[in-house]
Amino acid sequence: MVPGPARSLYLHIPFCTQRCHYCDFAIQVGGGDLQDRYLQALLEELRWLVEARVPAPLESVFLGGGTPSLLRPDLLERLLQAVVAGFGLAPQAEVTIEANPEGVSSEGVRLWASLGINRVSLGVQSLEDDTLRWLGRSHDAAQAERALAVLRRGSIAALSCDLIYAVPGQDAATFEGGLRRVLEFQPEHVSCYELTVEPGTPLARGVAAGRRQSPQVEDFLEQRRLAVAVLGEAGLGQYEVSNYARPGWESRHNLVYWQGGPYLAAGSGAHGFLGPAEAAGLGFEGTGAALRYWHLRNASSYMRSVGDGSRGLRGHEWLTPEDLALERLACGLRLAAGVELQTSAQLRTAAHLQGLGLLEFSGGRVRATSNGVDVLDRLTLELAAI
Amino acid sequence: MPSHSPRQIRNFSIIAHIDHGKSTLADRLLEITGTVSARDMTEQVLDTMDLERERGITIKAQAVRMPYHAEDGQDYELNLIDTPGHVDFAYEVSRALAACEGALLVVDASQGIEAQTLANVYKALELGLEIVPIINKIDLPQSEPEQVAQEIEAVIGIAAADCLLVSARTGQGVDRVLEAIVTRLPAPKGDPEATLRALIFDCKYDPYRGVVVYVRLLDGVLRSGTQIRMMAAQKNFAVDEVGVFRPGMEAVEELRAGEVGYLIASIRNVRDSKVGDTITEVGRPEPLPVPGYRQASPMVWAGLFPVDSNDYQDLKEALERLQLNDAALTFEPESSLALGFGFRCGFLGLLHMEIVQERLEREFDLELITTAPSVAYRVQLRDGQTVEIDNPDQLPEPGLVDFIEEPRVKLEVVLPKEFLGGIMELCQERRGEFVHLEYQLGDRALLTYDLPLGEIIHDFYDQLKSRSRGYASMDYQLAGYRREQLVKLDILVAGAKVDALSAIVHREQAANQGRKLVQRLRQVIPRQLFEVALQAAIGGKVIARETVPALRKDVLAKCYGGDITRKRKLLEKQREGKQRMKLVGSVEIPQEAFMAVLSLDR
Repeated sequence: MVPGPARSLYLHIPFCTQRCHYCDFAIQVGGGDLQDRYLQALLEELRWLVEARVPAPLESVFLGGGTPSLLRPDLLERLLQAVVAGFGLAPQAEVTIEANPEGVSSEGVRLWASLGINRVSLGVQSLEDDTLRWLGRSHDAAQAERALAVLRRGSIAALSCDLIYAVPGQDAATFEGGLRRVLEFQPEHVSCYELTVEPGTPLARGVAAGRRQSPQVEDFLEQRRLAVAVLGEAGLGQYEVSNYARPGWESRHNLVYWQGGPYLAAGSGAHGFLGPAEAAGLGFEGTGAALRYWHLRNASSYMRSVGDGSRGLRGHEWLTPEDLALERLACGLRLAAGVELQTSAQLRTAAHLQGLGLLEFSGGRVRATSNGVDVLDRLTLELAAI
Repeated sequence: MPSHSPRQIRNFSIIAHIDHGKSTLADRLLEITGTVSARDMTEQVLDTMDLERERGITIKAQAVRMPYHAEDGQDYELNLIDTPGHVDFAYEVSRALAACEGALLVVDASQGIEAQTLANVYKALELGLEIVPIINKIDLPQSEPEQVAQEIEAVIGIAAADCLLVSARTGQGVDRVLEAIVTRLPAPKGDPEATLRALIFDCKYDPYRGVVVYVRLLDGVLRSGTQIRMMAAQKNFAVDEVGVFRPGMEAVEELRAGEVGYLIASIRNVRDSKVGDTITEVGRPEPLPVPGYRQASPMVWAGLFPVDSNDYQDLKEALERLQLNDAALTFEPESSLALGFGFRCGFLGLLHMEIVQERLEREFDLELITTAPSVAYRVQLRDGQTVEIDNPDQLPEPGLVDFIEEPRVKLEVVLPKEFLGGIMELCQERRGEFVHLEYQLGDRALLTYDLPLGEIIHDFYDQLKSRSRGYASMDYQLAGYRREQLVKLDILVAGAKVDALSAIVHREQAANQGRKLVQRLRQVIPRQLFEVALQAAIGGKVIARETVPALRKDVLAKCYGGDITRKRKLLEKQREGKQRMKLVGSVEIPQEAFMAVLSLDR
């Protein structure tokens, strides 16, 4: 069951100053002149959503990208005002904006706070210039540290930092050094993602041509453990494979994804997920256990599609109960809280995996051990095989 | 259409090496005679199975009747009997040839005669067929028709001047082929008044009409209502329909001596209609059967197991369905500790096995694990009994065995002299014994070896091709059994013997093979969640060991925002890969592992 209506909203802001070498997200490089038109389309989609859905105030809003911090202040203001006016925000709602270091200023942070943004997710990625260059980032380490300082001086309560590990050429000691420097700013939340070579990215082309090294398994294993230890020591517990937080500061928006809850989405490339009743209310035909829908990835195509009344949609799929069960299992195992198993066959498999030191039982649930996290996808398949 | 007198009938087949243009020539003949209109012409009309078209080979024989108005002003009935083109189906070829008075020998103008073609030509000559050599592909720049004609004269003894030069692709010279069929091939003899005598050269199963029997009438007349007797099968039937192929089935009133066609007689099982059997009439004194009948018998055996054990019944039904149309396929239930319940199947050769396997997977949607093919060994036990085993795991305990004999073949290879060294080396590696070497015209040699059948069933042919840059060709026939020092090599995975991985190997090669086999298995068995030990053992003694280390990483640390669909699709893809593997104990073993014993470097 997917309980409705959705109380989380994802908004995609595709603009970036450049494409990072490893990035395969739906982004638009430059496009300053597109911002007005894009926002218009986004507001149009939101208006339609507001009209069509059962009113329910939002518990979380996530402005992701792209680089939402590139959005012009007046446009950002209009967007958030429209969200508040149209959907309504629950008291204590989590409102996150993703920002890149070069887009952070005291003035900007003040504006964000005044608009109700209470969480910033900063794309630090690394505090080593060599690594940042290797990744094709648009900022250097000094800029990132300045941004962190600015954010800590401001009044936004929650700071999250994104870091990338297992980058070729960056050894464990260097990674640990960067991690500790980030911790000096006492972030409430850290996301540590391993570098992945996604098809079609400049990095993938470099690897294929033999110009660039691909990430090494040894680095992944070592640096992931290092992150767990160092962050844990600083009071940030691992609550998802790649996410760490002080108790109570976990990302509520992302937890909705991982716990299989419903969420709305608007903007190019954005993915939404709804229970059957709400999906039907929004005009999606067909039936199933739940519906996932997604938008056109290209910003211009998205705008055109909204303009001609097609709502910017690229596709949707109805999940069968089996699909839903597999997703719940896959996401649930990623969480420190683990999952509740459904069948006795699953319990037998789990007992076998426990014997191998990969799973542990806690209460009525199972969760991956540290060794288990390294092979989590395989554990998921083992438990799903029934 | 009036029935022709035997003088106006010509029955012929086409002998050619694969790719030398048999199907293209057949298509041209059908087109020119108007049997198939150009509009209906699909590439290679005669190869009707999908698999045949894909692989460019003929698996089942086909027959087609073509009307032809010859230059002498007379109308003729030309029956083309198309034959299978692979060494696995040599017996079927011989029966199709026995149904003809003549054969077109098609040779590629740039390649010359290949060994297998030659073997079929000799077979045709033995059966008294008249041969018309045709040199094809003369439109290609590298063609050397004169040299090939000289070669034909030297090897087969047909004057070079009698060769027809043709391009089946462009149609050049094909009209001369039709004339040659009429003028150079003899008309069938045979007496319509005599007792019915018809040769079965193929049959196929039709789900609505039962078995369709392809026949060549030597004597007598066959019409609906005739009470027939299959002489070898010792079964009687009443004929419901007789007809001819044009190329679709078309009923006719009667088939007379000399003609080629089909009969339908409510026959439910292809085993009652054995290729090579003679049909006669019930109630009349039995004539002499057509000589050369042989029960089709398998040469190699392999276990077929469903990956999902719930598919056992489906596999059984699928094999029964295939067997309806494939009298050479045998199967019986087999149970393996490792693979569960399946079937031990007998095949004519590896190609036959691949075809059956592919049809089961494609037409019946079954996921299968096939064990390494094995030949049948004769085991002499100490208590005086002899047992024949076609599954290495059935080899009795060494203490009970007096000695083991393995089947051998006489292998003939035709090749350019420059590759002799490499090919002899190959035969030597496969425990072959040199028999004979004969130089032929030009730079060719005919090499004869005596070697174990078990050594040539797998990649021998591929090796032969690669070590001769494609120029060598081969043919073989069984040549008895020989006592050898053979032992059973067992494989243990995670400490447990996997019966389906056992192999019978020569004692001298056992240690080496065992070591290589576990090394190979280490490469093909994917990492599991735990370390897996692989051991090779002979008679309980471990002779080699390898370890598949535990899986170290299988997780994407990134979950793509709200796009959980992507995550799920990736998992589903991984799951598909997993499902193609067989769970043996707690270890997942892929199909390649069961074939690993075949792909060892020597």
